[in-house]
Amino acid sequence: MSITNAGARGRAAATLRVDWPACKGRGFCHELLPEIVDLDEWGYPIINGVVPPELIGLAKEAVRTCPTLALHLT
Amino acid sequence: MTLRIHAGPQLLAGLRESSSYPAHRDYFGEVPVADRDTLIQSLESVRGRGGAAFPFATKLRALGASNRPVVVVNWAEGEPASHKDAALARVRPHLVLDGVQIVARAYRAREVHIVVPKERPAVVDAVTAAAQQRRHPKRFKVHLADDRFVAGQARAVLELMAGRPNLPVTAWQPEAYSGHRGRPTLLSNAETWAHVALRMMRPDSPATTLLTMGGESAAPDVREVEIGTSWSKVLGSWSPDAPILVGGYHGTWTSVRRLGKLPVDHDTMRMAGVPLGAGVLLAPAPGECPMTMTARLARYLADHSAGRCGPCFNGLPAMAAAVSDLAHGRGEQARVEHFFDVLERRGACAHPDGTVRLVRSLVTAFPAEVAAHRAGGCSFAERRHDPGESVA
Repeated sequence: MSITNAGARGRAAATLRVDWPACKGRGFCHELLPEIVDLDEWGYPIINGVVPPELIGLAKEAVRTCPTLALHLT
Repeated sequence: MTLRIHAGPQLLAGLRESSSYPAHRDYFGEVPVADRDTLIQSLESVRGRGGAAFPFATKLRALGASNRPVVVVNWAEGEPASHKDAALARVRPHLVLDGVQIVARAYRAREVHIVVPKERPAVVDAVTAAAQQRRHPKRFKVHLADDRFVAGQARAVLELMAGRPNLPVTAWQPEAYSGHRGRPTLLSNAETWAHVALRMMRPDSPATTLLTMGGESAAPDVREVEIGTSWSKVLGSWSPDAPILVGGYHGTWTSVRRLGKLPVDHDTMRMAGVPLGAGVLLAPAPGECPMTMTARLARYLADHSAGRCGPCFNGLPAMAAAVSDLAHGRGEQARVEHFFDVLERRGACAHPDGTVRLVRSLVTAFPAEVAAHRAGGCSFAERRHDPGESVA
């Protein structure tokens, strides 16, 4: 993937945060980032740990494509 | 309901018939004037009394040099078993407003918002009347919070003030940086403001805290105790084996014996795993045991979810059902515990976390009782619970 190296320049670890009232459990984030986003029994995301540098690009895409704009990278 | 307000060492000292402004000024003297540095130094020991025990001076430091922050008195007391702020509204409303005045002056704040609970009309009336008696009554804007457990949550209060539904939203920044309409905001619980006033007007007085006992009864008691007092002294006549819920509906189960070994102190209690919260102490109601009371409270807390965050909206009713099933001898403890990880830190506010704290503390503090219920019995109540009893 072309985005593998994005954001890997020694920055502090990024974290995905969910705006819970906005999240409607559509699951796009899990589709894009199964490595760090699981879904609970109702389809809402469970974020496991920080975003590793090699996944920053995908994490940004997940933030961009969330249908309810409920995902934030901090 | 009859609120029994006991005389105490500081906030509840010198109670007279009148809580009027002149009587208050007679007793406490004039409102002192202090600059910001003096305030921060003097208020180092004041902890937030809304439940989180957050250091008040830290909030002041976060405001930094910002001028005209919005000042908010959170008098909403959304927890039905808590009555300490209602007590202050009745007997010491002006002490709360003194605290506001001292800080508002130092920070050149013009706007003071007071959020009061709609379902407690006596509080609404007392606070509104007190604000009218002050020198600048127009500075105070009174808002009515909804009758909902989470209505007093800080962000829910700011939503109400902004004219939106009185429900929690995600906080991306502390309210000191971005609060009411994005402005620096200083929001604290009513009792906290009273302690601020006391510390500035009586600097040598010992630190105290308010407690509500029997908050679900027809005659709750509100007491003031010095920080550092032994719980064994406060609880006096309680049986050592009695179960006690410390911190209210979002609180922690323990026994009177265990609590009796601790002092009334935020940090010591937190480290012992029994945080004081907003100072609510509850015992099971007649006919209830810790297990059935927890089932009742878990159901109540599920009903009081704002219904906006998926894990809370779906998970609290599911956990409440699992607790009820366990209480009635037809569920598994593992099913209940499954929800702890599912719910914690997965909401805009701490409502799911507080509900998990309550349920987790039950299985931690009373494993034998939980096991007895799983087997269809109950070691507290004399009557056995009918496994066929309908789930509320």
